[in-house]
Amino acid sequence: MRNDIELDAMIEDYLQGNLSAAEAEAFEQLRTNDPVVDHKVVAHKAFLETLKQYGRVMSLKQQMDHAHAQMDVEAMADQMRPHPSFIINLWRKNKSAVAIAASFLLLTIFSVYSINHNTKQNGTYEVMRREITNIKNNQNKLVRTLNSSGTKSDKGPSSVAKFGGSGFALTANGYLCTNYHVIRDADSIYVQKNGESFKVKVAYFDAQYDIAILKIIDNSFTPLSNLPYKLKRNGIGMGEDVYTLGFPKDDAVLGEGYVSSKTGHNGDTTQYQVSIPINPGNSGGAVFDNYGNIVGMITAKENQVEGAAFAVKSKHILEALNAIPSDSLGKKVAFSKKNPLQGLNRTKQIDKIQDFVYMIKVYN
Amino acid sequence: MSNKLSSSVPTDREVVLGILNNSEDALNRLYTGYFPMILQFIINNNGDEDDAKDVYQEAIIVLYNKIRSGDFELSSKLKTYIYSVCRRIWLKKLSQQSKKTTNLSELDDVVAVEVDLEHHEEKELQFEKMGSALVNLGEPCKTIIQDFYINNLSMQDICEKFGYTNTDNVKTQKYKCLQRLKKLFFQS
Repeated sequence: MRNDIELDAMIEDYLQGNLSAAEAEAFEQLRTNDPVVDHKVVAHKAFLETLKQYGRVMSLKQQMDHAHAQMDVEAMADQMRPHPSFIINLWRKNKSAVAIAASFLLLTIFSVYSINHNTKQNGTYEVMRREITNIKNNQNKLVRTLNSSGTKSDKGPSSVAKFGGSGFALTANGYLCTNYHVIRDADSIYVQKNGESFKVKVAYFDAQYDIAILKIIDNSFTPLSNLPYKLKRNGIGMGEDVYTLGFPKDDAVLGEGYVSSKTGHNGDTTQYQVSIPINPGNSGGAVFDNYGNIVGMITAKENQVEGAAFAVKSKHILEALNAIPSDSLGKKVAFSKKNPLQGLNRTKQIDKIQDFVYMIKVYN
Repeated sequence: MSNKLSSSVPTDREVVLGILNNSEDALNRLYTGYFPMILQFIINNNGDEDDAKDVYQEAIIVLYNKIRSGDFELSSKLKTYIYSVCRRIWLKKLSQQSKKTTNLSELDDVVAVEVDLEHHEEKELQFEKMGSALVNLGEPCKTIIQDFYINNLSMQDICEKFGYTNTDNVKTQKYKCLQRLKKLFFQS
């Protein structure tokens, strides 16, 4: 026991280098000679090492605990703690899954929706299209761009007309009616009938109803005979046969059809929808009913719909005419009380009307 | 808060030098600097403040040992290193508790710290044994051993502290204590 203690002390001293040179040499001699002592030295050294490290770690932990105590961990933790609400947690954890599910759902709804729409009747589909294209005004103004050479008349202007439309006489003394969009931005306007060309000026226009009233100011113009037709004050029923005389080309062209709706584009109550095939240049053409009354004036047609043209109601033409001061009208606008066309067949009617419809040519 | 954080976080260089010089201030700043990061990480991954403290301290110990061992080569930012170590440790703890860890384990390690940690775990095991052996040793042996071997007090100091009549008696007592400690340590 005593020896063990001494040996132990010796080993410790040896490891710490406290032995004198002679003692150390003697001890090393002992180590080489006695494997038991040698092993004791090694084991003791390793153990002390561990003990020392343990001590270091412990003191480090103490320091860290000290540092830890200086922080307000509770407050920090509260700040960082995940949201207590179950739903929000669920959302945070499954965000991506929810997103995928949602997009899938959206895609499904969309495809089902579009499939449904593709298989539905055309009518509904067309209505859809109309709604979408409402933003753009998809009425084609039926102004015909004239690319043929202009009038051959020596009285007419020498250059080529830019736009063309149709028009019709309102009075015998040279008041004509056409669409406002036909003569909009015009520098000069001429009307042409049977190869004769007359200069006109704009007497009145109403952009809202798309109506313009022109006055022939040409000296060569001779007053017309009495107008064979009259403007119809009242509305006209759906299904009524109507026809129009217009100038989609340089000669008058007849278009026949019927009133297909009492409202125009997008439910516009100032217009009828008529089923007459019309083309650029028909704008401003009068729409006649079977009795030779003017019921409206062609203004536009719908792009996406076959056979849907629109005509301003005659009531508004009458209003426009009344809006012109009687002074500038000069002679009062006269309509024959009795409609001379009544009872005549279509061919005869057209024959009589033809003298009172004009082709409008616009230069700018 | 971020401002306060960044101002108190020491640079990596300061930390390494501070650890090598045993600077308590460097440790304090290092500790307070990165703790919020780990706290947030642990709290958001099924842990609480105490878990964060344990994990973080373990990570700091790993860092200390690595720096002290001399072959420390900073291949990433210190912050990244600490984070990676903490992640690893926490992951292990979670899997030991067999909690759901899918969120964590799916991710790759930010920095490879596997080798450092293996070493650390061995040491940790020894330290645990040492700790329990010391506790089982009882007083006054525990204090004598700690004072002599860890706090490097001289025999004379210990003699006075405990009121032994002479240092030889202390030596004898210390020897007995150490023998018992060794026995306890190797037994467990």
